Amino acid sequence: MTKNPALIAPDAYPQMMSSRDGVEAMKVLRSPHTAAKAQAAMDAAVPPMRAAILQYVDELEDVGGDMLKIFERVHEIRGFAETAGLVTTGRIADILCRYMDDMVRINKPLDTMIVTLHVAAIVRAARAEDDDLAMGEVVAGELAALVAQRLTDASR
Amino acid sequence: MRSLLRALLNAIGIKEIAEAAHGQAAIDSLHERKSDLVLSDLAMKPMDGLEFTRQVRNHAHSPNPFVPIIMITGHTEKHRVEEARDAGVTEFLAKPITAHNLFSRIAEIVERPRAFVRCDGYFGPDRRRRTIDNYAGPWRRKDDFQDVDVR
Repeated sequence: MTKNPALIAPDAYPQMMSSRDGVEAMKVLRSPHTAAKAQAAMDAAVPPMRAAILQYVDELEDVGGDMLKIFERVHEIRGFAETAGLVTTGRIADILCRYMDDMVRINKPLDTMIVTLHVAAIVRAARAEDDDLAMGEVVAGELAALVAQRLTDASR
Repeated sequence: MRSLLRALLNAIGIKEIAEAAHGQAAIDSLHERKSDLVLSDLAMKPMDGLEFTRQVRNHAHSPNPFVPIIMITGHTEKHRVEEARDAGVTEFLAKPITAHNLFSRIAEIVERPRAFVRCDGYFGPDRRRRTIDNYAGPWRRKDDFQDVDVR
């Protein structure tokens, strides 16, 4: 067993760039010009990301009761949705991911009804024009409360 | 996602970018070219981001065990973050990705490079983020007292 862990200082291994280059890189990273270019890149990513999410939504409907496949698709939707401007879709996907993750972690069976409700809400929110924020937020809030209650019950 | 990351990296002047579909392809790519930074998703098949990181950090023939690795994932649960940290990732970037968050992780790597630690069961960036000067305890390890002048 190693008693004394070896500490390797940053100057003892190859760095991503020299200190001088680092200073220049920071100027670029923090410049308004870079911010504008980055925002343009983010804006350009919205249509393809939205298309990708709709593809995942289609797949989500096709996987039936396969919980692993549902989790994989919902996880991808959670990761992409907000970047694509689908805030409510992302929020509902996040609630479902956390529910599934927590239940698996505490070795409790998933409630099919909870999963089905979330999947239906994700499908509806993603396909609604402009994410239907008002209604979606109400649905997301209700689902979050339901999941919180179920997780509390399951932890007892 | 990869095209968005490519565009964001292009925005800060990074032009030479290699893409890989999964962990093993990324390792092959690291062997083929010198890489200064790795952005890795966690959920990949057949080799995921955690196994990729472990291979880069620990494999005897790793081309660059010190390369900074930013792990990008939607899995933000605490135990998953800890798993990524213990695999040896340098920075953790939760989805949804924003330019600000990506750039701040890169800035962290450039401006505040971390020491590496080699000990039983771990090789990678120092997992302790902060050093507090004049910290007087409490101590968690028996060995800590060897270096402390207790008066």
